[in-house]
Amino acid sequence: MITYITRRLVLALVTCWAISVISFIIIQLPPGDFVNSYIANLSASGSMVSAAEADAMREQYGLNRPIWVQYGKWMGRVLQGDFGMSMEWGRPVLEVIGDRLWLTIVISIAAIILTWGIALPIGIYSAVRQYSIADYIFTLIGFIGLAVPNFLLALIIMYLGFKYFGANIGGLFSPEYDLAPWSWDKVWDLMSHLPLPAFILALAGTAQLIRIMRANLLDELRRPYVTTARARGLQEWRVIMKYPVRAALNPFASTIGYLLPFVVSGSIVVSLVLSLPTVGPLLLRALVAQDMFLAGAIVLLLGVLTVIGTFLSDLMLMWIDPRIRAGMHG
Amino acid sequence: MRSIRRLPAALGAAAAVILASPSEPVWAQNALAESGLIGELEGVTIITDPAQWPTSFNEAPELAEMVASGALPPVEERLPEDLMVIQPVGEIGQYGGIWRRGFTGPGDNENGNRIQASDRPILVDHTGATPRPSLAKGWQMSEDGKTFTLNLRRGLKWSDGDPFTADDFVFWYEDIYGNPDIVPTPIPDMTPEGKPGRIVKADDYTVNFEFDVPFFLFEELMMGDTLIGGGQAVRQSDKRTAGGYAPGHYLAQYVPSDTKSVEELDAEAKAEGFDNWVARLHFKKDWTLNPELPVLGPFRTVQPINNANWVMERNPYYWAVDTAGNQLPYFDGVAMSVVENLEVLNLRAMAGDYDLQERHIDLGKLPVILENQEAGNYTVHLDLAFNGADAIYQFNQTYDADPEIAKWLTNTDFRRALSLAIDRDQLNETFWLGVATPGSPAPGEVLPYFPGEGWREKWSTYDPDEANRLLDSIGLTEKDAEGYRLRTDNGERLRLEVQAVQAFLPWPRISEMVADQWRQVGIQADVKDTERSLAFTRTQANEHQIMVWNNGGTELLYLFPRHAIPVDPTEAFMGPEFAKWYASNGAQGRAPEDPNMLKILELFRSAAGQKSEERIETAKEIWKILIDQQYGIGTVGQSPALMGVRLVSNKLGNIPSRNCIAQHCRTPGGAHPETWYFKE
Repeated sequence: MITYITRRLVLALVTCWAISVISFIIIQLPPGDFVNSYIANLSASGSMVSAAEADAMREQYGLNRPIWVQYGKWMGRVLQGDFGMSMEWGRPVLEVIGDRLWLTIVISIAAIILTWGIALPIGIYSAVRQYSIADYIFTLIGFIGLAVPNFLLALIIMYLGFKYFGANIGGLFSPEYDLAPWSWDKVWDLMSHLPLPAFILALAGTAQLIRIMRANLLDELRRPYVTTARARGLQEWRVIMKYPVRAALNPFASTIGYLLPFVVSGSIVVSLVLSLPTVGPLLLRALVAQDMFLAGAIVLLLGVLTVIGTFLSDLMLMWIDPRIRAGMHG
Repeated sequence: MRSIRRLPAALGAAAAVILASPSEPVWAQNALAESGLIGELEGVTIITDPAQWPTSFNEAPELAEMVASGALPPVEERLPEDLMVIQPVGEIGQYGGIWRRGFTGPGDNENGNRIQASDRPILVDHTGATPRPSLAKGWQMSEDGKTFTLNLRRGLKWSDGDPFTADDFVFWYEDIYGNPDIVPTPIPDMTPEGKPGRIVKADDYTVNFEFDVPFFLFEELMMGDTLIGGGQAVRQSDKRTAGGYAPGHYLAQYVPSDTKSVEELDAEAKAEGFDNWVARLHFKKDWTLNPELPVLGPFRTVQPINNANWVMERNPYYWAVDTAGNQLPYFDGVAMSVVENLEVLNLRAMAGDYDLQERHIDLGKLPVILENQEAGNYTVHLDLAFNGADAIYQFNQTYDADPEIAKWLTNTDFRRALSLAIDRDQLNETFWLGVATPGSPAPGEVLPYFPGEGWREKWSTYDPDEANRLLDSIGLTEKDAEGYRLRTDNGERLRLEVQAVQAFLPWPRISEMVADQWRQVGIQADVKDTERSLAFTRTQANEHQIMVWNNGGTELLYLFPRHAIPVDPTEAFMGPEFAKWYASNGAQGRAPEDPNMLKILELFRSAAGQKSEERIETAKEIWKILIDQQYGIGTVGQSPALMGVRLVSNKLGNIPSRNCIAQHCRTPGGAHPETWYFKE
């Protein structure tokens, strides 16, 4: 067991290093550099940069040095906990991400709780009452939820909100609280804006989870041990909750690896459409502007979190499923 | 990462949803011109006669409190002796209120820079052509064109109360411009004919710009959004280093001097978390990032631009008053809130979340914007620009990757034919709702640079028959089964490539329509929808055939020539090699063989030493050659597409009915936002 965990840990470290190299290369792949995109951006906003200013900027950022030197410099600092300055924001990268991090976490966790809170009971219900009217209704809604991309849903809901309810559009705060310092009223304002993005983010995941839960549980319900448990006279809900549901939970645990990065980045496209001040749009913007320290830090962060998440889900699977524990000895 | 690829689809869908709202099925385009949305150009009056100036002064209540508590000297002492007296468009306003706007993040610093437009020595008025005093009360060019003098306002103060004098110009010239670590190569506006000019202090309030050769053009450069004339806010924010003056009393501690070596500065900078002293200077001299920095504009930053909200407050030392002696600005401050995409910005503007917004507003959404006027409590103004083309197809004259393509790109009749094949009315109706002016890329008829009658239409009308005749006459007679003309070298179909960027106009979609019109005369053009910075990288590497962009700013040719003629290597769509040749005085790049192109560049170079009237004639001459040769095919222009759709809250007063929309008017700053106010 200890060797298993150690091996996993070493592998995780190597993976993290590989992620750092690959993310740096990917960020460097598009032609041009930050200065190019900076000039293009200014030109599109009707301003100009002289050639001399552009050269001075390249020198200042070290963009005229070979890529491996740039990587070495970056990695050397990252290992000391310094992620560098964001070129576009002119502030330390960690500060820029930190500004948006906790709002992102709030939205994402709300979305996850909503997803699980809706998906698990419905999934169990649909499996136990297979082919009932309610099962058909949930199935229909589930398929629609699966088929509609959530950014489209976001757009439609936003449009309807604007058109018929005069709701203010996008963002997490009303205009009057946008500028205000933190207060209970502002927290309340945030809470009242939260359900919509959380609901939209949750919906697609919900549909998927309902289907998975239903299918897994149906498999388990037909197993002989269920019949045995029933034959022993256990109460029906106990029969279902204690054994088959536990077995059917495996897929939930194995997706935890992807939950962690989601919690931190949120959904990029939905956040963008709804203008949510989360980390996702920040990443997109950094990639477009070729702000490599910021983009690199976020990609690295997401990669490392995926690795950690996968590691955690391995441990969790061990814990919920005795069969995996048993298989490890071999 | 996967979701990133879906993004364009997402935004496209957003536009579709918004445009599909139940407005009238066919937009009544022609009614638009008579709709009253387009007002009369108007602007503030600057009173220069001291006899008409107010003699007693008033200030905002917050400032009066600070004066009472001793935190601030009285208003009389804060204002300069040489006052700037502004008569607003409407009436005397009242103090109060925060002007709410939307912006797109730290890259959008121009959104605020423009509000600070009065922080330059000279600013043009609402006509876009007449220079008016701003920081400087007067200016003169010497008879020989070698000395330009600025007369500064006596007693004018920075936002921290320190005097603004000729020393601030000398500080910029010696300690910033003169330091090769900050500015590695001289800027063209200071080096006529490659000979470096100097900034010299005559006395505290008199600054001389001295040149070795006649440089009459400098006077005009000073009134534009140029490297020296542009002022502190725009030219020293966001890593830029020009501007002509800088707050020496504050910035001196951050640049090398006799008392502080580069090593000491570097050590200090590192201790503060910067890479080196230059990086720290870039931060310290940037008004959008550093609230401590003394400024001269009507506002100063309270919460920096790299936050979710960029917040500004009134500059307590602002040096202008209204005709009743009230110190400006009327607004307490400006608050910009960040949006993650432009669709949301447009929706918020329609919901009335912004008090006055013209930036990033999409002309294509005008029907919905009008529909929501009442609900959003705003009024819509359409402000027409002066530039001739919102979409100009620039043919790369130095393209060399494919000799056959290059042969046609450099063929005058080929370009004329393609211009005649464009149905500009169709483009105008579809993408500009019929409010723009079709024709050549020449500047607006109201400007002195307009080349004259007939030059709007020259080679720029819709005449497919003539286009076909021209194409046949130059030897493109062979066609394939689908009717496309064939290359003359290998008999395959002739395929041009148009590089189009989705920026402030939907250029890829516009180009698809143009390509469709060219198809009618047998020319195939493939539209390459290219990411913005990739497009710029490719044009700098001379890899594009045809590039579509606008020509905003070229209406005053000498102030912003880069989108009219190939003189600036950073953006020379018409021929990057020519631009290198021009900018390096022949050291790099390639000299044009085409006598017409050569003539254009020679005329442009000679203009720097010409006096105003002669220079205007030279510009007209350049425009005539450009239009006759069709190096750039103009489509439609003088439209409100860029910053010309203005949503103004009905709560605001003193708002001009039509703004000057131009680079050098610094829209909306040229309209003096410090005179706008909340009526309730």
